[in-house]
Amino acid sequence: MIVEVLVALVLGVVVYALLPRTKKEVLQTEDGWWGAGDPPETAEDDAIRPFRVETSDEELEDLRRRIDQTRSFSSLEDSQFNYGFNSHCLQKVVSYWRNEFDWKKQVEKLNKYPHFKTKIEGIDVHFLHVRPRDLPEGTAVVPLLMVHGWPGSFYEFYGMLPLLTEPANPGDIVFEVVCPSLPGYGYSEAPHKKGFDSVCAARVFHKLMKRLGFSQFYAHGGDWGWLVTTNMAQLEPNTIKALHLNMAPPSKPNLPVVLSVMLGRWFPWLFGFTEHDVKRIFPYMKKVFGESLRESGYMHIQATKPDTAGRGLNDSPVGLAAYILEKFSTWTDPEFKNLEDGGLERKFSLEDLLTNVMIYWTTGSIISSMRFYKENLGNGLNKPHSKIPVCVPTALASFPNELLHTPKLWVKQKYHNLCSFTPMARGGHFAAMEEPEMMAADLRKFIMQLERGPK
Amino acid sequence: MQTLESFRQTLLSLDTPRLHLLAASGAVLAVGGLAACYRATQRKAKTVPMGDGWWGVGPKPVSEDKSIYPFLVKMSEGDIQDLHRRIDQTRFTEPLEDARFHYGFNTTYLKKVVSYWRNEFDWKKQVDILNKYPHFKTEIEGLDVHFIRVRSPSLPEGCRVRALMMVHGWPGSFFEFYKILPLLTEQEDGLAFEVICPSIPGYGFSEAPNRQGFNSLDAARIFLKLMERLGFTEFYLQGGDWGSLITSGMAQMKPECVRGLHLNFVTVRSKGLGMMLSLIIGPYLPFLVGLTQEDVKRLFPFMEKSVYESLKETGYLHIQATKPDTVGCGVNDSPVGLASYILEKFSTWTDRNNRDLEDGGLERQFTLDDLLTNVMIYWTTGTIVTSMRFYKENLKNNIENRLDYKIDVHVPTGIAAFPHELRHYPRAWARQRYRNIHSYTYMPRGGHFAAFEQPELLAGDIRMFVKKVEKL
Repeated sequence: MIVEVLVALVLGVVVYALLPRTKKEVLQTEDGWWGAGDPPETAEDDAIRPFRVETSDEELEDLRRRIDQTRSFSSLEDSQFNYGFNSHCLQKVVSYWRNEFDWKKQVEKLNKYPHFKTKIEGIDVHFLHVRPRDLPEGTAVVPLLMVHGWPGSFYEFYGMLPLLTEPANPGDIVFEVVCPSLPGYGYSEAPHKKGFDSVCAARVFHKLMKRLGFSQFYAHGGDWGWLVTTNMAQLEPNTIKALHLNMAPPSKPNLPVVLSVMLGRWFPWLFGFTEHDVKRIFPYMKKVFGESLRESGYMHIQATKPDTAGRGLNDSPVGLAAYILEKFSTWTDPEFKNLEDGGLERKFSLEDLLTNVMIYWTTGSIISSMRFYKENLGNGLNKPHSKIPVCVPTALASFPNELLHTPKLWVKQKYHNLCSFTPMARGGHFAAMEEPEMMAADLRKFIMQLERGPK
Repeated sequence: MQTLESFRQTLLSLDTPRLHLLAASGAVLAVGGLAACYRATQRKAKTVPMGDGWWGVGPKPVSEDKSIYPFLVKMSEGDIQDLHRRIDQTRFTEPLEDARFHYGFNTTYLKKVVSYWRNEFDWKKQVDILNKYPHFKTEIEGLDVHFIRVRSPSLPEGCRVRALMMVHGWPGSFFEFYKILPLLTEQEDGLAFEVICPSIPGYGFSEAPNRQGFNSLDAARIFLKLMERLGFTEFYLQGGDWGSLITSGMAQMKPECVRGLHLNFVTVRSKGLGMMLSLIIGPYLPFLVGLTQEDVKRLFPFMEKSVYESLKETGYLHIQATKPDTVGCGVNDSPVGLASYILEKFSTWTDRNNRDLEDGGLERQFTLDDLLTNVMIYWTTGTIVTSMRFYKENLKNNIENRLDYKIDVHVPTGIAAFPHELRHYPRAWARQRYRNIHSYTYMPRGGHFAAFEQPELLAGDIRMFVKKVEKL
C-alpha cells in the first residue's frame, strides 16, 4: 500500500515538474474612448502636431500674487521633515521661487527638444520626440520609449537625453527617444471618463509608437512608468524588445517571497540576498511594513479621494510645491526626514525641482494626476496584469534608496527573463533626475548587450 | 442532598483515567477562573495617571495666570474681502463623467456651494449667532483654551442643574453643539444642564501647542483642569469622534469627578479572542456571542461593511497621521480646497450612500449656512494644519498599546449607537472597555455628526441616560 502511494507521489511530482506551469499569457485589453461625451462617428484625427510650451506675463503675475498671499504656519519645534514639509525650508524655497526662479528661461529649456501632440482614443497625448542629429555614418539608432511617474514628468529625463541621443564615443549606440506625458499629467489631456488605468495608458502608448512608425522598441520606466511599460510588455511582448526599469515591486507575495521574508535574515545565501538586501529588508516589520505605512498616506488618499486631495493644491502654488517636493526629499533618502532642510538641494537644484512643479501648476493637472492612483488601486491589487508574468528581456537598475527595495529573487517572480540586475552605488526613487549618468550608462550597457550579443 | 449523593455515586463509578481527566479539567478551569478574577480585580483598580504638561513657547513660568477672560468672535471686512478674492481665483478641475462623490467632493456641486458662499453666505450674521452664547478663554499649561459656557437664565426653582462638558472632534468644532444646546440647557422633567463646550487645543479659537506630543490624554488633562477652574467637582461628559477619546480619558484620570460619560462614538481595542469569535460565529448564532439582530444587520458582511469601507474612507486619517504639515499647507491657502476637504466628510460620514449622489446629499441634513460656519471657524483661525497634527500625535505609535486603551472605563456610561456611524460597536464589544454601561441605544437614524444632524435624538438619549444615573 505504501509503495503504491510513494510511486503515485513521485509520478505526480514528475508530471507537475514537466508541465509548463506558466503559460506564455498575453494581457488582453479592449479599445477605449476618453474624450468628453460620446465618440464621434468619423474616424479619429491622427495628425501629429508640433507643440511648444508657452507662458505669459499673466501666468507669472497670477503665480506671484498667489505666492504673496500664502498663509504660512510654523512647524513644530524640532520636527524637521517628520510632520511633512518643514515650514522654514518651505519659506526659503518659496522665496527663491518668487524672486529668482526664471520660468521663461526654463520654458526655453523645455522647448529645446521638439514637442508634439496627437489625439489617441479621444485625448491629446503630449510627447517629446528626440531624433539624434549629425550622426557619423553607420551609427546604429535604436528607438527608446521613456515613461515617467508621479509626482514627476517628462522633465525628469532631461539630464539623460543628451547622454542617450548624442554619441560620446564612436561605435556607441544612439537612441531615438520618445518621452510621452501620462494622460492627465502635464501637457497630456486628462481622460474625461472613469477607468483610465495603467493598461489603458500602455495601450495608448503602443498606438503612439505605431503612429510614429515604430514596430519594435525598447522601454524604460520608473514609478508609474514601471507599471505602464510592464503592461506594454504584457500586452505586446513582440513589440517591446526589452524593458529597463529602476523599480520592480512584486505584484503578489508568493511562496519564495514569503519564505525569503521569514528566513532571509538568518539564511540570506539561501535566497541570494546581499548585505544591502538584508540591511534594507530586515527587521521586516520595521523596515518594510513600518516605513511603507509611514510613507503611503498620500497613496491612500489619492487612491480613494483624489478630487478632494488635489483641490487645495490647484489653488495654492505653495501647497502644491510642499506636497510634491516632500517626495523629492523623502524618496531620495529616507534619512532626509531628519534634516531641517530635507536634504532637498543635496541632489537636485531648486531650478529643476520647481520646473517640475510648474509643469503641474501651469497645466492644473494635479487632480487628474492623482486620479491615476484611484483607477489603478481603488479596487484592490487583484488586476489581471498582476497575475501575468513578463517574458521580454528585462533589466533592473537597483538604486540603494529606492522606496520599495526588491532583491533579485523577488524581481524574478514576475520578470521571468531578468537579464541584468545592477546594484547601483547611490541614488533614490527619482533616479533618472538624480543620477542621469549612472542610469544612462546602465541602460546603454544593457541594450548594447542585447543588440550586439554578449562579448 | 439527593443530587449530591447521585453526583458522588457518578464520580465513584468513573474509572481512573476518566477521573484523572475530570480532575485535570477541573484544575484548569479553577486556575483559569482565578486568573480571570485576578485580572478583573487588577483592571478595576487602575486609573490613568494625570501627569502634567507645558505647551507654551519658552520655559514654564513659576505661576500660571488662572484668570478667565470673556471672548468675542470678531469678523473683519478685510477677512471677507480676502476670502472673496481667493474664491474668485479658484481654479476648478472638471469632474470625471458620472463620478458623483466617489472620487471625493464633486466639482459640479462644489461650484454651487462656492457660489452660495461667495454671494449669499453672511459671515457677519453667523458671527452674531456664534456670539449668542458667552465665550471665554483661559490659559492652561501655556495654551489659551477657548470654551463656551451656557446656562439658561430662566430656570425654575427646584430644577436640578447638572454640569455637562461636550467635546467635539475633527473636522467639527464647538459649533456642532449649537442646535443641541437649547434642548439641554432648558429644563425638562426638572432637569437642566449647564453646558461647557471647549475647543480642542489646535482647533478653532484654542491656541495650538508649539511642541510635539500633544495627544488626547493631554487634552483630557487640560479639560479636567478647566472644569476644576470653573468650580465643578462633579460633572457629566459627552463626546463623539476625538471628543469620545478625550472624554473617556477624562473619566479614566479622575473617575471620582465624572458622574456619567455619554458617547456617540466608541473606541475599543480591536484585538482579542472575543471579538474574533464574534466575527466568526456572529452572523449565524449572534446570541451566543452577545450580539443582537440589530448588531448583525449593522456589522455584517464584515469585510464589506467594516474592512473595505474603512479602507475606502481612511485615506485622510493615513495622510494626517503621517504628513499633516504637507497635506494641510494647500488647504490653508485655498478656501475652496478647505471647504471640499471638510464638507466631503459631512457628506460621506452622515451616510455612506451619499457617495452615489451628484450632490453628496449634503443639504438633506444640514443647511449650507451651518456647514460653512464650521468651515469658516477653521478658515478664519487658520487651524486646519494644527487640527490635523492631532492625528499624528495620537496615532504615530500604535495607539492600542497606549495606557488608556489597556485600562477600562468604570464610570457609568451611556452609548448612543447611530446607524450610519463610521464603525458599529455592539454593546458586547464596548463592554470590553466600558465596564459600567447603563444604557446602550440603537438610534433610529443619523450618522457621525450626531449632535449636528440629530440634536433631538441625541438630547433625548443624554437625558434618558442621566436620569438613569441620577436614580441610583
